[in-house]
Amino acid sequence: MRVLRFGSGLNPSFPSPPLRDLEPAEVITQEAAIRASSGQTLRIDTLVREGEVVAQGAPVACLRDAPDVKFVAPMAGRIARISLRPGRKLSEIVMFREEGDVVRHDLGITTDDTGLRRLMQNSGVWPLLRRRPFGGMPTPDERPTAILVMALDTRPHAPDPRQALEGCEAAFERGLLALSELCDGAVFVCQTVGAALFQPGLGGGKIHAVVCPDRHPHGSAGLCSHGLAPATIETPVWDIHAEDVAALGDLMLTGILPMTRLVQIAGEGLKESRMVRTQPGADLRELTLRAAASGANALMSGSPLDGHEAHWLAPRHRQVTVLPRDSKKASPHWFTAALTRSSLPKPVIPTAALRQAFGAALPAVALVRALSSGDDEMAMRLGALSLLEEDVGLADYVLGGEAKLAVLLRRMLDRIQTEFAP
Amino acid sequence: MMKGLWDRETTALMLLAAYMPLALFWIGYGGGQALAGLGLAVLCLAVWNLVFMLARAQPPSFAAIITALAFAMLAPEELGAFRLLFGLSFGAVMGELVFGGWGRNVVNPATVALSFLGFGFQGFDWPVFDVPVVWAAVPAAVIGVATGVMPGAVMLGAVASCVVALAFGAPIIAALPAAGIVLVLLVADPVTSAATTLGRWLNGAVYGGLVVLFAAGWSGAAPVQIAIAAALLASLAAPLLDEIAVTLWIVRRRRRHGRN
Repeated sequence: MRVLRFGSGLNPSFPSPPLRDLEPAEVITQEAAIRASSGQTLRIDTLVREGEVVAQGAPVACLRDAPDVKFVAPMAGRIARISLRPGRKLSEIVMFREEGDVVRHDLGITTDDTGLRRLMQNSGVWPLLRRRPFGGMPTPDERPTAILVMALDTRPHAPDPRQALEGCEAAFERGLLALSELCDGAVFVCQTVGAALFQPGLGGGKIHAVVCPDRHPHGSAGLCSHGLAPATIETPVWDIHAEDVAALGDLMLTGILPMTRLVQIAGEGLKESRMVRTQPGADLRELTLRAAASGANALMSGSPLDGHEAHWLAPRHRQVTVLPRDSKKASPHWFTAALTRSSLPKPVIPTAALRQAFGAALPAVALVRALSSGDDEMAMRLGALSLLEEDVGLADYVLGGEAKLAVLLRRMLDRIQTEFAP
Repeated sequence: MMKGLWDRETTALMLLAAYMPLALFWIGYGGGQALAGLGLAVLCLAVWNLVFMLARAQPPSFAAIITALAFAMLAPEELGAFRLLFGLSFGAVMGELVFGGWGRNVVNPATVALSFLGFGFQGFDWPVFDVPVVWAAVPAAVIGVATGVMPGAVMLGAVASCVVALAFGAPIIAALPAAGIVLVLLVADPVTSAATTLGRWLNGAVYGGLVVLFAAGWSGAAPVQIAIAAALLASLAAPLLDEIAVTLWIVRRRRRHGRN
């Protein structure tokens, strides 16, 4: 490993035991749940009842405002519990695994835009898409200006998408072609240095390969969007993981959506790290059952930088982080508390670390000041609409967790959405 | 759940570590008198930080020690304890603490205090530094820039403008040692210097340009006095320079993408 390298970005190292083996094991957990991403609100109508047996890929719920967009069962099994919050907001739909069928979708007309959208919405691919600005899945008839296919992940302990794509290159190309039908502009495949992932000239030159530096946050969709195709209210940009594109390609050939994804389990609270193929919404306790070290551990869905404690693997997440839970410390002496705590959050000092935490791609200090003072217009001019919470995860970590940029950014995006968006 | 390093106090401690070579050489050559001056300044700032902590729940910062060091090194000599404390109190309270403490200030408190003393009590001698102390500013700057707590572009901008002035034969040789120490101690402060790369180059260049201007045109002024006046004006110009740099960045980006 070279110690000195030039270029922007930071790769903070988090302790984790070595991988047991590089080949992923297929683990389908006995329980799984359909849940919303952290911070996302989904108003749904359920299509099944508790106790009903459903096939893998069968629709379980649909969006209340767009009934075409379905959420599908990640495995064949029985619906154990449907829990909704007031306003029919999805909390979780828990399933028990049972032997059963796999739903095969009618491929019919998938060559035109409408047919393709209907297939993606019916088969559960649609929720894998994410739009910027504001995050969440796109509306059923939205046409983006660009689609980013993330074939690299620079977050600490993230599985390499290249490994996930091994053996499904043809499906990946089919998926890319399908995506290029959905958007007016270009499809960017963001990848690391190395072999091409698709034939050059695919899709009539509409699909571009973009080589990104391998340091965080250059592999986050927000920074890629910022550099390649800035998202604004009029020009939404979608992003999707490369493995999901390959799944879409498989769906278009066979009519069956593959339900496993490559997930890496890492963190300080483990005896050994693991690489598994598991279903979305997998039970994190079962995934870490024999690997977790003794003692109280926190199970997090996502990376150490942007993950959150969870029971089920969040949609789109491909990492599980296990961290030892800090033991409860006695509350500090009142004088120490007065020395360290404050009525106002402590200010951010402009250092090189902050600049690198944004990949030196934007005036970081100006953006942080706009975020903390609530200057929406300045933040929009600086490109905040291309960013989501996970893109500022590194900056939040680097600044010692005092700045709470992710919270400020979410608050600002919500405000912009109500004030500026039509 | 997991925390990075670069919060406010780490930055302050790292800055303090960077200033160590300069501080040790200065104390070594200044002896007990220098140490006493530094101790007095630290005590004064500690009291003011305590007052603001109790009155406004404003946590104190290690950066106060840096302010004390800069003030003790650059303050006029033979001024007497009362005037020193008066000037330092003015600088610390009006330059930093009323804005919410270190990190929210717009000008460096030591710069404010020293300018206040310079304008208020004229006729006192400004300090002159021994040659090794001047050279100790170089490792201080290197440590600060290498750890990322000091803006390297500010230093380069200042050095570049001074080199250009020297090439044109401007009479600034006498002012350079003091200007260098003030550059490291006051101008290259991460909080009050500009925060964008272009802004930092401009900020350094403005400082260097002002030093050249004052050295050429301000007759009867001591080198330290010249440098402090230039530092004050340069830090006042910093927000404007940042504004220019950010506007240019936005314009360039709009031209490239057709949108923000």
